[in-house]
Amino acid sequence: MIFHLVLKDLKIEWRSKEIITSMFIFGLSITLIFALAFQVAPNLIRTFAPGLLWVVILFTSVLGLNRLFSLEKEDQALWSWVAAPVNRGTVYIAKVISAFIFIIMSELLFIIPFFIFLNLPSNFSFISFALILFLGTGAIVSVGCLISGITLQARLRDVLIPILLFPSASPVAIAATKCTGLLFNQIPLVNYLFWLLILGSFFVIFGLFGYLVFNQIVEE
Amino acid sequence: MSFFKHRNNLIHAGIALTLSVINIYIIFTLDPPNLAQGVFGNIFFIHVPIAWSAFLLYFGVMVCGIFYLTNKSIKWDYRGLAFAEVGTIFMFLVLTTGPIWAKPAWGHFWPWEPRLTTSLILFLIFLGYFMLREFGGNPEQVSRYAAVLGILAFLDVPLIFFSVKFWLPEMQSHPQVGQYFSSANPMSTYLIIFSFISMIIISSLMVRFRTNILSMNHTS
Repeated sequence: MIFHLVLKDLKIEWRSKEIITSMFIFGLSITLIFALAFQVAPNLIRTFAPGLLWVVILFTSVLGLNRLFSLEKEDQALWSWVAAPVNRGTVYIAKVISAFIFIIMSELLFIIPFFIFLNLPSNFSFISFALILFLGTGAIVSVGCLISGITLQARLRDVLIPILLFPSASPVAIAATKCTGLLFNQIPLVNYLFWLLILGSFFVIFGLFGYLVFNQIVEE
Repeated sequence: MSFFKHRNNLIHAGIALTLSVINIYIIFTLDPPNLAQGVFGNIFFIHVPIAWSAFLLYFGVMVCGIFYLTNKSIKWDYRGLAFAEVGTIFMFLVLTTGPIWAKPAWGHFWPWEPRLTTSLILFLIFLGYFMLREFGGNPEQVSRYAAVLGILAFLDVPLIFFSVKFWLPEMQSHPQVGQYFSSANPMSTYLIIFSFISMIIISSLMVRFRTNILSMNHTS
């Protein structure tokens, strides 16, 4: 069931390409603004780069999370969820997986220009970097899909998602920035396992919570 | 005010008023335990009990949320909202008294201390909570969404606390807290406990009063 739901989201995205394209272009635009704004101190930008990277990721995620349930909402397809004989926790898991794929894809697209524009060195372990990106994005998505769900019927949805997401995801911002900073300084992975643990526990706690309460969110 | 027509409520209000007057009198007339901080040292006796009560009130929001989601009784929704409102007032007081105390203790108004930062982040999430209540959709849906958000906010507390604590290891805890809890002079400990009890009684009165108004608006 999860597979079919994810496949449906991916198919729609493959045809319209609206979520990934908009997130990529938005990420690129913020990177450009950062590169221009920090021109006064190009040396300092290396110190700030981990934080900037996660700011860009959080901002672009908001865009993706905003569109995540939009199709269902616009076409009144929410009723099919209510009527369908499936556990709605499954719908949540499927949405988490789709959002994760969309955000990771857009990250892969704008991270290369991010490193080029900000003149960042790339002599660090790519496997560790991928692990941090995966865990960080997973943590953002697990709480983000839940927030996207509870703001589904809200009049001010575009405003409410960032207002609720940024403070809730602040542990992710701290932990992911710390990990990325240590990684950029070529410090081996074992030294920041604590921060990876924070990201992992965030993902597990909110993933489980979302799975359990999504039944309550999608209801008549 | 029909709330105060009940004898028990009147007694509750009387006790709350008497205890707060005694509490404030003691705090204003007490010799400051730390001469370096001057009279500002005494703010500890109000700041810490308010902070404990604020976290307890937000814990109440979570408990009401769980009860609301399990038995869907509107009473729990009103209680949850009342807890959230009073908790936010208390949290605002924490964020006001914190910096007033931080200036003489640390030398600047805002230290990124784990407890104060956690309070700020929770306060921001709850500002979003009230926006969700206001703009979230139809009343029945909003009650469910708010219950989910109330639980989400409290689940976030340990993660925020630990990530901030290890983010800036030099900010381990409040300065000179030990002197307030020294075994040689137990008076301070008793005062804090007394202050905390009076805060609990005032906040419980506020929550009951607000719940009463909310349910009256519903029935009228």
